[in-house]
Amino acid sequence: MEQAHIELKNVSKSVLRKVNNVKVRTQILSSLDLKVQQGELITIMGASGSGKSTLLRLINRLSEIDSGIILLNGRDIRDHNPMELRKKIGMVFQLPVVFRGSVRENIAFGMKLWKNDIDLDALADDAAIPKNLLDADAGQLSIGEKQRVCIARALANQPEVLLLDEPTSSLDYKAAGKIEMLLLDLRTKKNLTVLWVTHEREQAERIGGRRLILMEGRLEEGHV
Amino acid sequence: MSEIPAIALTVLIIVLAAAYGRRFGIGRELSIVGARSLIQILILASVIIILFNLPLYWSFLVLLVMAAIAGHTTYSRSGKLENSLPLAAASIAAASLLLLIPFFLAGIFPLEPRYVIPTGSILIGNAMNVSSLAIDRYRGEIKNKRGEVEAYLALGAHPGLAIAACLKQGILSALIPSIDNMRNLGLVWIPGVMTGMLLGGADPVEAASIQIAIFASIFAAGMIASNLLLYYSTDSFFTKAAQLREDLD
Repeated sequence: MEQAHIELKNVSKSVLRKVNNVKVRTQILSSLDLKVQQGELITIMGASGSGKSTLLRLINRLSEIDSGIILLNGRDIRDHNPMELRKKIGMVFQLPVVFRGSVRENIAFGMKLWKNDIDLDALADDAAIPKNLLDADAGQLSIGEKQRVCIARALANQPEVLLLDEPTSSLDYKAAGKIEMLLLDLRTKKNLTVLWVTHEREQAERIGGRRLILMEGRLEEGHV
Repeated sequence: MSEIPAIALTVLIIVLAAAYGRRFGIGRELSIVGARSLIQILILASVIIILFNLPLYWSFLVLLVMAAIAGHTTYSRSGKLENSLPLAAASIAAASLLLLIPFFLAGIFPLEPRYVIPTGSILIGNAMNVSSLAIDRYRGEIKNKRGEVEAYLALGAHPGLAIAACLKQGILSALIPSIDNMRNLGLVWIPGVMTGMLLGGADPVEAASIQIAIFASIFAAGMIASNLLLYYSTDSFFTKAAQLREDLD
Protein backbone atom coordinates (compact mmCIF):
# COMPACT_ATOMS: atom_id res chain seq x y z
CA MET A 1 0.00 0.00 0.00
CA GLU A 2 1.24 3.48 -0.89
CA GLN A 3 2.79 5.41 1.99
CA ALA A 4 0.71 8.37 3.12
CA HIS A 5 2.25 11.81 2.83
CA ILE A 6 0.89 12.79 6.22
CA GLU A 7 -0.56 10.40 8.75
CA LEU A 8 -2.06 11.13 12.16
CA LYS A 9 -2.54 8.12 14.43
CA ASN A 10 -4.51 8.25 17.63
CA VAL A 11 -3.75 11.95 18.15
CA SER A 12 -5.13 13.69 21.24
CA LYS A 13 -4.75 17.27 22.34
CA SER A 14 -6.13 19.43 25.10
CA VAL A 15 -5.73 23.20 25.38
CA LEU A 16 -6.09 25.80 28.13
CA ARG A 17 -9.18 27.94 27.67
CA LYS A 18 -10.41 30.82 29.78
CA VAL A 19 -13.89 30.22 31.16
CA ASN A 20 -15.16 33.02 33.45
CA ASN A 21 -11.56 34.17 33.91
CA VAL A 22 -10.49 30.73 35.09
CA LYS A 23 -8.19 28.66 32.92
CA VAL A 24 -9.67 25.27 32.18
CA ARG A 25 -8.00 22.45 30.27
CA THR A 26 -10.31 21.33 27.50
CA GLN A 27 -9.92 18.18 25.42
CA ILE A 28 -10.35 19.16 21.78
CA LEU A 29 -8.89 16.27 19.79
CA SER A 30 -9.38 12.68 20.97
CA SER A 31 -7.77 9.67 19.32
CA LEU A 32 -7.94 11.34 15.92
CA ASP A 33 -6.80 9.43 12.82
CA LEU A 34 -6.13 10.87 9.36
CA LYS A 35 -4.27 9.76 6.24
CA VAL A 36 -3.42 12.27 3.54
CA GLN A 37 -1.90 11.16 0.23
CA GLN A 38 0.70 13.10 -1.75
CA GLY A 39 -0.96 15.91 -3.74
CA GLU A 40 -4.34 15.40 -2.05
CA LEU A 41 -6.66 18.30 -1.21
CA ILE A 42 -8.60 18.01 2.03
CA THR A 43 -11.11 20.47 3.39
CA ILE A 44 -11.77 20.39 7.11
CA MET A 45 -14.96 21.87 8.47
CA GLY A 46 -16.24 22.12 11.99
CA ALA A 47 -17.90 24.37 14.49
CA SER A 48 -16.04 27.30 15.99
CA GLY A 49 -13.70 26.06 18.74
CA SER A 50 -13.86 22.46 17.52
CA GLY A 51 -10.05 22.36 17.12
CA LYS A 52 -9.60 22.89 13.36
CA SER A 53 -6.76 25.40 13.77
CA THR A 54 -5.16 23.34 16.53
CA LEU A 55 -5.17 20.31 14.22
CA LEU A 56 -3.16 22.26 11.61
CA ARG A 57 -0.80 23.64 14.26
CA LEU A 58 0.01 20.11 15.40
CA ILE A 59 1.06 19.09 11.89
CA ASN A 60 3.75 21.79 11.59
CA ARG A 61 4.53 21.53 15.31
CA LEU A 62 3.55 25.03 16.31
CA SER A 63 1.78 23.09 19.07
CA GLU A 64 2.61 19.72 20.57
CA ILE A 65 0.39 16.64 20.64
CA ASP A 66 -0.47 15.18 24.05
CA SER A 67 -0.42 11.62 22.73
CA GLY A 68 -0.39 9.69 19.47
CA ILE A 69 1.93 10.18 16.52
CA ILE A 70 2.10 12.31 13.37
CA LEU A 71 4.14 11.05 10.43
CA LEU A 72 5.46 12.97 7.45
CA ASN A 73 6.54 10.62 4.66
CA GLY A 74 6.45 7.79 7.21
CA ARG A 75 8.74 9.54 9.71
CA ASP A 76 7.63 10.87 13.09
CA ILE A 77 7.57 14.70 12.89
CA ARG A 78 9.32 14.77 16.29
CA ASP A 79 12.35 13.22 14.57
CA HIS A 80 12.56 16.20 12.21
CA ASN A 81 14.29 19.43 13.14
CA PRO A 82 11.25 21.67 13.91
CA MET A 83 12.56 24.50 11.73
CA GLU A 84 13.15 22.20 8.75
CA LEU A 85 9.77 20.57 9.28
CA ARG A 86 8.11 24.00 9.05
CA LYS A 87 9.97 24.73 5.84
CA LYS A 88 8.44 21.57 4.35
CA ILE A 89 4.98 22.27 5.78
CA GLY A 90 3.98 25.84 4.95
CA MET A 91 1.09 27.55 6.70
CA VAL A 92 -1.19 30.46 5.84
CA PHE A 93 -3.06 31.95 8.79
CA GLN A 94 -6.54 33.38 9.09
CA LEU A 95 -5.25 36.91 9.72
CA PRO A 96 -2.41 37.85 7.39
CA VAL A 97 0.69 39.05 9.26
CA VAL A 98 3.23 40.90 7.15
CA PHE A 99 6.69 41.68 8.46
CA ARG A 100 8.19 45.14 8.57
CA GLY A 101 9.62 46.09 5.18
CA SER A 102 8.66 45.93 1.55
CA VAL A 103 6.56 43.28 -0.19
CA ARG A 104 9.75 42.04 -1.85
CA GLU A 105 11.52 41.69 1.51
CA ASN A 106 8.55 39.79 2.89
CA ILE A 107 8.47 37.31 0.03
CA ALA A 108 12.25 36.94 0.10
CA PHE A 109 12.25 36.10 3.84
CA GLY A 110 12.32 32.32 3.42
CA MET A 111 14.69 32.62 0.49
CA LYS A 112 17.26 34.38 2.67
CA LEU A 113 16.61 32.12 5.63
CA TRP A 114 17.05 28.91 3.69
CA LYS A 115 19.35 30.27 0.98
CA ASN A 116 16.91 29.07 -1.69
CA ASP A 117 17.43 30.28 -5.20
CA ILE A 118 13.98 31.07 -6.52
CA ASP A 119 12.61 33.50 -9.06
CA LEU A 120 10.95 36.06 -6.82
CA ASP A 121 9.24 37.90 -9.68
CA ALA A 122 7.74 34.69 -11.00
CA LEU A 123 6.53 33.78 -7.51
CA ALA A 124 4.93 37.20 -7.05
CA ASP A 125 3.31 36.73 -10.43
CA ASP A 126 2.00 33.29 -9.36
CA ALA A 127 0.47 34.91 -6.27
CA ALA A 128 -1.10 37.63 -8.44
CA ILE A 129 0.95 40.39 -6.82
CA PRO A 130 1.43 43.22 -9.36
CA LYS A 131 5.06 44.19 -10.08
CA ASN A 132 4.45 47.78 -9.01
CA LEU A 133 3.58 46.58 -5.50
CA LEU A 134 6.85 44.72 -4.94
CA ASP A 135 8.66 47.71 -3.50
CA ALA A 136 5.68 49.04 -1.56
CA ASP A 137 5.58 48.98 2.25
CA ALA A 138 3.85 45.69 3.11
CA GLY A 139 2.15 47.26 6.12
CA GLN A 140 0.18 49.64 3.89
CA LEU A 141 -1.50 46.94 1.77
CA SER A 142 -5.16 45.90 1.91
CA ILE A 143 -5.95 42.69 3.80
CA GLY A 144 -6.45 40.81 0.54
CA GLU A 145 -3.07 41.98 -0.77
CA LYS A 146 -1.43 41.11 2.54
CA GLN A 147 -2.85 37.61 2.31
CA ARG A 148 -1.36 37.22 -1.19
CA VAL A 149 2.01 38.29 0.22
CA CYS A 150 1.67 35.70 3.00
CA ILE A 151 0.84 33.00 0.45
CA ALA A 152 3.82 33.96 -1.73
CA ARG A 153 6.04 34.09 1.37
CA ALA A 154 4.97 30.59 2.39
CA LEU A 155 5.51 29.27 -1.13
CA ALA A 156 9.00 30.80 -1.32
CA ASN A 157 10.05 28.02 1.09
CA GLN A 158 9.06 25.50 -1.60
CA PRO A 159 6.93 23.46 0.80
CA GLU A 160 5.52 19.97 0.12
CA VAL A 161 2.43 20.63 2.19
CA LEU A 162 0.34 23.77 2.62
CA LEU A 163 -1.83 24.23 5.69
CA LEU A 164 -4.54 26.83 5.14
CA ASP A 165 -6.25 28.09 8.27
CA GLU A 166 -9.37 29.87 6.97
CA PRO A 167 -7.21 31.99 4.65
CA THR A 168 -10.16 33.92 3.21
CA SER A 169 -12.27 34.49 6.31
CA SER A 170 -10.99 38.03 6.90
CA LEU A 171 -11.61 39.05 3.26
CA ASP A 172 -14.67 40.37 1.48
CA TYR A 173 -16.53 38.06 -0.88
CA LYS A 174 -14.78 39.24 -4.05
CA ALA A 175 -11.25 39.15 -2.60
CA ALA A 176 -11.99 35.77 -1.00
CA GLY A 177 -13.03 34.33 -4.37
CA LYS A 178 -9.79 35.52 -5.97
CA ILE A 179 -7.60 34.04 -3.22
CA GLU A 180 -9.55 30.79 -3.44
CA MET A 181 -8.92 30.52 -7.18
CA LEU A 182 -5.29 31.45 -6.68
CA LEU A 183 -4.71 28.76 -4.06
CA LEU A 184 -6.41 26.05 -6.11
CA ASP A 185 -4.39 27.05 -9.14
CA LEU A 186 -1.11 27.04 -7.17
CA ARG A 187 -1.90 23.68 -5.65
CA THR A 188 -2.22 22.08 -9.09
CA LYS A 189 0.79 23.91 -10.47
CA LYS A 190 3.09 22.96 -7.61
CA ASN A 191 1.55 19.54 -6.82
CA LEU A 192 1.03 20.52 -3.19
CA THR A 193 -0.68 18.46 -0.54
CA VAL A 194 -3.24 20.86 0.94
CA LEU A 195 -5.23 20.80 4.17
CA TRP A 196 -7.76 23.63 4.02
CA VAL A 197 -9.73 24.60 7.09
CA THR A 198 -12.94 26.47 6.41
CA HIS A 199 -16.13 27.16 8.29
CA GLU A 200 -18.14 27.89 5.14
CA ARG A 201 -20.05 25.01 3.66
CA GLU A 202 -20.31 26.83 0.29
CA GLN A 203 -16.57 27.32 0.17
CA ALA A 204 -15.95 23.65 0.91
CA GLU A 205 -18.28 22.82 -1.99
CA ARG A 206 -16.41 25.14 -4.33
CA ILE A 207 -12.98 23.90 -3.29
CA GLY A 208 -13.78 20.24 -3.78
CA GLY A 209 -11.32 17.56 -2.65
CA ARG A 210 -11.99 15.19 0.27
CA ARG A 211 -14.32 16.77 2.80
CA LEU A 212 -13.92 16.05 6.50
CA ILE A 213 -15.80 17.36 9.48
CA LEU A 214 -14.22 17.74 12.91
CA MET A 215 -16.76 16.69 15.52
CA GLU A 216 -16.19 15.85 19.16
CA GLY A 217 -12.45 15.64 18.64
CA ARG A 218 -12.52 13.31 15.65
CA LEU A 219 -12.66 13.62 11.88
CA GLU A 220 -15.59 12.20 9.97
CA GLU A 221 -16.25 12.03 6.26
CA GLY A 222 -18.39 15.05 5.46
CA HIS A 223 -21.45 15.03 3.29
CA VAL A 224 -21.84 18.57 2.15
CA MET B 1 25.27 66.55 64.30
CA SER B 2 22.53 66.98 61.72
CA GLU B 3 21.22 63.38 61.84
CA ILE B 4 18.68 63.90 64.64
CA PRO B 5 16.81 66.79 62.94
CA ALA B 6 17.00 64.93 59.58
CA ILE B 7 15.40 61.77 61.05
CA ALA B 8 12.82 63.86 62.92
CA LEU B 9 11.95 65.68 59.68
CA THR B 10 11.61 62.32 57.85
CA VAL B 11 9.26 60.91 60.52
CA LEU B 12 7.17 64.10 60.47
CA ILE B 13 6.87 64.00 56.65
CA ILE B 14 5.96 60.28 56.67
CA VAL B 15 3.25 60.86 59.30
CA LEU B 16 1.81 63.83 57.41
CA ALA B 17 1.98 62.03 54.05
CA ALA B 18 0.29 58.95 55.54
CA ALA B 19 -2.44 61.10 57.11
CA TYR B 20 -3.07 62.80 53.78
CA GLY B 21 -2.79 59.44 51.95
CA ARG B 22 -5.80 58.12 53.89
CA ARG B 23 -8.00 60.11 51.53
CA PHE B 24 -6.82 57.86 48.71
CA GLY B 25 -6.83 54.66 50.74
CA ILE B 26 -3.01 54.49 50.86
CA GLY B 27 -2.47 55.82 54.39
CA ARG B 28 -1.54 52.45 55.81
CA GLU B 29 0.72 51.57 52.89
CA LEU B 30 2.52 54.92 53.09
CA SER B 31 3.14 54.49 56.83
CA ILE B 32 4.54 50.98 56.34
CA VAL B 33 6.69 51.89 53.32
CA GLY B 34 7.93 55.07 55.02
CA ALA B 35 8.81 53.32 58.28
CA ARG B 36 10.39 50.44 56.41
CA SER B 37 12.57 52.69 54.26
CA LEU B 38 13.74 54.64 57.32
CA ILE B 39 14.69 51.46 59.18
CA GLN B 40 16.37 49.95 56.10
CA ILE B 41 18.50 53.04 55.48
CA LEU B 42 19.55 53.24 59.14
CA ILE B 43 20.52 49.56 59.08
CA LEU B 44 22.45 50.22 55.87
CA ALA B 45 24.30 53.10 57.52
CA SER B 46 25.25 50.82 60.44
CA VAL B 47 26.40 48.08 58.04
CA ILE B 48 28.47 50.61 56.10
CA ILE B 49 30.18 51.74 59.31
CA ILE B 50 31.16 48.12 59.95
CA LEU B 51 32.17 47.53 56.30
CA PHE B 52 34.39 50.59 56.23
CA ASN B 53 36.56 48.87 58.80
CA LEU B 54 36.58 45.44 57.13
CA PRO B 55 38.83 44.20 54.27
CA LEU B 56 37.77 45.27 50.76
CA TYR B 57 36.47 41.86 49.64
CA TRP B 58 33.60 42.28 52.11
CA SER B 59 32.42 45.26 50.08
CA PHE B 60 32.28 43.13 46.94
CA LEU B 61 30.41 40.42 48.84
CA VAL B 62 27.83 43.00 49.89
CA LEU B 63 27.49 44.18 46.29
CA LEU B 64 26.91 40.56 45.21
CA VAL B 65 24.15 40.20 47.80
CA MET B 66 22.64 43.45 46.53
CA ALA B 67 22.79 42.11 42.94
CA ALA B 68 21.08 38.88 44.08
CA ILE B 69 18.25 40.84 45.72
CA ALA B 70 18.00 43.06 42.63
CA GLY B 71 17.88 39.90 40.49
CA HIS B 72 14.97 38.60 42.57
CA THR B 73 13.05 41.83 42.05
CA THR B 74 13.58 41.65 38.30
CA TYR B 75 12.66 37.95 38.34
CA SER B 76 9.32 38.78 39.97
CA ARG B 77 8.72 41.39 37.27
CA SER B 78 9.36 38.76 34.58
CA GLY B 79 6.31 36.80 35.72
CA LYS B 80 8.69 34.30 37.39
CA LEU B 81 9.93 33.16 34.03
CA GLU B 82 11.85 29.89 34.04
CA ASN B 83 15.61 30.34 34.67
CA SER B 84 15.29 34.11 34.91
CA LEU B 85 16.26 34.36 38.61
CA PRO B 86 19.93 33.36 38.14
CA LEU B 87 19.98 35.10 34.76
CA ALA B 88 18.72 38.39 36.17
CA ALA B 89 21.12 38.32 39.13
CA ALA B 90 24.08 37.41 36.90
CA SER B 91 23.23 40.05 34.25
CA ILE B 92 22.87 42.82 36.83
CA ALA B 93 26.03 41.77 38.70
CA ALA B 94 28.14 41.42 35.53
CA ALA B 95 27.04 44.71 33.98
CA SER B 96 27.44 46.66 37.24
CA LEU B 97 30.86 45.22 38.01
CA LEU B 98 32.04 45.89 34.47
CA LEU B 99 31.09 49.55 34.73
CA LEU B 100 32.40 49.87 38.30
CA ILE B 101 35.98 48.89 37.46
CA PRO B 102 36.90 51.97 35.31
CA PHE B 103 36.17 54.35 38.22
CA PHE B 104 39.00 52.78 40.18
CA LEU B 105 41.31 52.04 37.24
CA ALA B 106 41.11 55.67 36.11
CA GLY B 107 41.75 56.86 39.64
CA ILE B 108 38.43 58.74 39.90
CA PHE B 109 37.86 57.13 43.29
CA PRO B 110 40.33 55.41 45.65
CA LEU B 111 39.73 51.65 45.89
CA GLU B 112 38.14 51.76 49.34
CA PRO B 113 34.82 50.50 50.74
CA ARG B 114 33.65 54.12 51.17
CA TYR B 115 33.64 54.49 47.36
CA VAL B 116 33.09 50.90 46.16
CA ILE B 117 29.79 50.31 47.96
CA PRO B 118 27.87 53.48 47.07
CA THR B 119 29.06 53.53 43.43
CA GLY B 120 28.34 49.82 43.01
CA SER B 121 24.90 50.13 44.57
CA ILE B 122 23.94 53.01 42.25
CA LEU B 123 24.89 50.88 39.24
CA ILE B 124 23.08 47.79 40.59
CA GLY B 125 19.92 49.72 41.45
CA ASN B 126 19.68 51.30 38.04
CA ALA B 127 20.58 48.11 36.18
CA MET B 128 17.75 46.46 38.14
CA ASN B 129 15.24 49.17 37.17
CA VAL B 130 16.11 48.97 33.48
CA SER B 131 16.15 45.16 33.51
CA SER B 132 12.76 44.96 35.25
CA LEU B 133 11.19 47.35 32.75
CA ALA B 134 12.83 45.52 29.86
CA ILE B 135 11.74 41.99 30.83
CA ASP B 136 8.21 43.16 31.64
CA ARG B 137 7.90 44.86 28.24
CA TYR B 138 9.58 41.92 26.45
CA ARG B 139 7.06 39.49 27.86
CA GLY B 140 4.19 41.89 27.01
CA GLU B 141 5.43 42.33 23.44
CA ILE B 142 5.70 38.57 22.92
CA LYS B 143 2.18 38.06 24.31
CA ASN B 144 0.71 40.82 22.16
CA LYS B 145 2.58 39.80 19.03
CA ARG B 146 1.97 36.06 19.30
CA GLY B 147 0.54 36.06 15.75
CA GLU B 148 3.63 37.71 14.30
CA VAL B 149 6.03 35.52 16.27
CA GLU B 150 4.24 32.37 15.10
CA ALA B 151 4.20 33.64 11.50
CA TYR B 152 8.01 33.74 11.70
CA LEU B 153 8.19 30.30 13.33
CA ALA B 154 5.84 28.84 10.70
CA LEU B 155 8.35 29.84 8.02
CA GLY B 156 11.11 27.96 9.82
CA ALA B 157 12.70 30.90 11.61
CA HIS B 158 14.47 30.05 14.86
CA PRO B 159 13.04 31.59 18.06
CA GLY B 160 15.73 34.27 18.35
CA LEU B 161 14.84 35.65 14.93
CA ALA B 162 11.10 35.29 15.55
CA ILE B 163 11.21 37.56 18.60
CA ALA B 164 14.02 39.91 17.59
CA ALA B 165 11.58 42.81 17.16
CA CYS B 166 10.07 42.16 20.63
CA LEU B 167 13.54 42.13 22.20
CA LYS B 168 14.48 45.42 20.54
CA GLN B 169 11.22 47.03 21.68
CA GLY B 170 11.71 45.71 25.23
CA ILE B 171 15.15 47.30 25.51
CA LEU B 172 14.17 50.57 23.83
CA SER B 173 11.15 51.03 26.10
CA ALA B 174 13.20 50.28 29.20
CA LEU B 175 15.81 52.86 28.27
CA ILE B 176 13.34 55.71 27.66
CA PRO B 177 13.39 56.95 31.31
CA SER B 178 17.23 56.90 31.33
CA ILE B 179 17.41 58.76 28.01
CA ASP B 180 14.89 61.35 29.25
CA ASN B 181 16.86 61.75 32.48
CA MET B 182 20.05 62.29 30.53
CA ARG B 183 18.35 64.78 28.22
CA ASN B 184 17.16 66.87 31.16
CA LEU B 185 20.29 66.47 33.28
CA GLY B 186 21.06 69.79 34.89
CA LEU B 187 18.00 71.47 33.35
CA VAL B 188 15.15 70.02 35.38
CA TRP B 189 17.02 68.38 38.22
CA ILE B 190 20.41 68.09 39.88
CA PRO B 191 21.16 64.39 40.22
CA GLY B 192 21.90 62.61 43.49
CA VAL B 193 25.67 62.25 43.42
CA MET B 194 26.22 65.87 42.43
CA THR B 195 23.74 67.05 45.06
CA GLY B 196 25.53 64.98 47.70
CA MET B 197 28.94 66.27 46.70
CA LEU B 198 27.74 69.89 46.61
CA LEU B 199 26.14 69.50 50.03
CA GLY B 200 29.43 68.00 51.20
CA GLY B 201 31.28 71.12 50.02
CA ALA B 202 32.89 69.79 46.79
CA ASP B 203 33.88 71.94 43.86
CA PRO B 204 30.90 72.18 41.41
CA VAL B 205 33.02 71.29 38.34
CA GLU B 206 34.44 68.22 40.07
CA ALA B 207 30.97 67.23 41.25
CA ALA B 208 29.57 67.69 37.72
CA SER B 209 32.41 65.68 36.11
CA ILE B 210 31.96 62.76 38.46
CA GLN B 211 28.19 62.94 38.07
CA ILE B 212 28.34 62.70 34.29
CA ALA B 213 30.76 59.74 34.49
CA ILE B 214 28.34 58.00 36.87
CA PHE B 215 25.41 58.88 34.66
CA ALA B 216 27.03 57.41 31.55
CA SER B 217 27.97 54.28 33.52
CA ILE B 218 24.43 53.90 34.86
CA PHE B 219 23.08 54.08 31.32
CA ALA B 220 25.62 51.58 30.01
CA ALA B 221 25.10 49.18 32.93
CA GLY B 222 21.33 49.25 32.37
CA MET B 223 21.72 48.66 28.68
CA ILE B 224 24.19 45.79 29.09
CA ALA B 225 22.24 44.12 31.93
CA SER B 226 18.92 44.29 30.06
CA ASN B 227 20.50 43.07 26.83
CA LEU B 228 22.11 40.10 28.59
CA LEU B 229 18.91 39.25 30.44
CA LEU B 230 16.61 39.47 27.44
CA TYR B 231 18.98 37.67 25.09
CA TYR B 232 19.54 34.74 27.44
CA SER B 233 15.93 34.51 28.62
CA THR B 234 14.60 34.12 25.05
CA ASP B 235 14.72 30.32 25.29
CA SER B 236 12.45 30.43 28.35
CA PHE B 237 9.57 31.68 26.19
CA PHE B 238 9.81 28.60 23.96
CA THR B 239 9.66 24.86 24.30
CA LYS B 240 12.52 22.65 23.14
CA ALA B 241 10.65 22.17 19.84
CA ALA B 242 10.74 25.94 19.16
CA GLN B 243 7.06 26.40 20.06
CA LEU B 244 5.95 29.60 21.75
CA ARG B 245 4.80 28.54 25.24
CA GLU B 246 1.05 28.47 25.74
CA ASP B 247 1.17 29.53 29.41
CA LEU B 248 2.50 33.07 28.88
CA ASP B 249 -0.88 34.75 29.45
